Amino acid sequence: HNWNSSGTCSDKHFHIVEQVLGLYVNSIICVLGFVGNCLVIVTYAFYKKTKSMTDVFLFNVAVADLLFVVSLPLIVYNEMSAWPMGPAACKLLRGSYSVNLYSGMLLLACISADRYVAIVKARRSFKLRSLPHSRLICAIVWAAAILLSVPTFYFYSCYEPSHVANVFMLDPLSEDNLTSWSPEYVCEFKFSDSGTAWRAKVAIPSTQLAVGFFLQLFIMIFCYTSIVFTLLRAKNYQRHKAVRVVLAVVVVFIGCHLPYNVTLLYDTASKFQHKSCKESDALQVAKTVTQTVAYLHCCLNPVLYVFIGAKFRNHFRRIIQDLWCLGKRYVAPRRFSRVTSDTYLSARRSVDGSSDNGSSFTM
Amino acid sequence: MVPIRAAVLAFTLLALCLLATNTSAAYYSCCHSHVKTRISFRAIKGYSVQTVTEMCPINAIIFLTSKGKVCTNPALKWVMDYVHLISNKAQKVHIKMSQATKPSHG
Repeated sequence: HNWNSSGTCSDKHFHIVEQVLGLYVNSIICVLGFVGNCLVIVTYAFYKKTKSMTDVFLFNVAVADLLFVVSLPLIVYNEMSAWPMGPAACKLLRGSYSVNLYSGMLLLACISADRYVAIVKARRSFKLRSLPHSRLICAIVWAAAILLSVPTFYFYSCYEPSHVANVFMLDPLSEDNLTSWSPEYVCEFKFSDSGTAWRAKVAIPSTQLAVGFFLQLFIMIFCYTSIVFTLLRAKNYQRHKAVRVVLAVVVVFIGCHLPYNVTLLYDTASKFQHKSCKESDALQVAKTVTQTVAYLHCCLNPVLYVFIGAKFRNHFRRIIQDLWCLGKRYVAPRRFSRVTSDTYLSARRSVDGSSDNGSSFTM
Repeated sequence: MVPIRAAVLAFTLLALCLLATNTSAAYYSCCHSHVKTRISFRAIKGYSVQTVTEMCPINAIIFLTSKGKVCTNPALKWVMDYVHLISNKAQKVHIKMSQATKPSHG
């Protein structure tokens, strides 16, 4: 096939990689991310009484990560076949993906800034780190994430690509060779004119690179370097553990997001350049693999930020105990288990709500 | 541990469903470059248009020939001459979903 060098590509490796990663690795990410972030949300909703500024941020990160791992299998499922869930799901899933990406990143930046204020600017921290402040900041972060996602929401649509769907034939009756054209719906960018297309195809990934990665990287490096220097000057026997936690947070962030963002940067810079089939196939494979590595970050966040604390481990022990008791007491007589567990949960919620100043609520 | 078990079950089922579906090529083969040499007009059976306003990275006229698809540069005169020659005679064929059942890429 001599035409293949300048014809359309078959993207062979890309399909194999996409299927393996799409199915197995993403399933694992979804399960781990779902369980981890649910545990964090349940802990904050029912068990942790006194909430600090950091708690509010961590709770919001868990919500963003949870929304992300819920939309991920739907996106993977739709991308594997011809986008069977239709145009509304296309816009909603792509839009929510973008909102969660931005909010997750901005909230992690808030957490590093919050820790910076608490440790480096400890004197001023009481004024700055109040609960109303943190709620306002979270509201701003979510609003900014939604605003940044408007172009994605607007320009993604579900359509049959015209270069595959609209073919002009000299002899329309001999359609044998058309079987290789298989048109299907895709959920991709679509623009009204090519001027908008050129601009948006560069502007949207550039915004993602700038706000979704580099801004956060610089804030993180600045805050955590200052924190490490402050900790090393302090005379505290626990400082080495704290430094190790900080290093883990930074190393995991860079390890997860740097490969994908470098690939995205290269892809955006060479977007309109001509490529051979080998090159474009390799770039697609690189994007899919590094993107999966970046997804991994949302199941590592609960471990790095929440599970690492001793208080939280105690809370988890209580959750496990409670769930075990719940199972023992109510699941055994199966018939009414659902009703009783519902009333149990609502009772628990009301108890939690009434205990404003943190009186204990034991079972 | 009821929610965890339910979650694991749900995701296993989802993974099995995905395995069962005939995963066809969702990624469309776009043209990523243009052919360097002029092609013979007699080989052409039809054409379609690829634009940057959709998912593909470059503009191209895709000629369907007896040997397969050929990506050509719409900025070249011979390419547009061919298109004008064909477009009077050619008919638009909208390929329906039913024809697109077999995975054909790769």
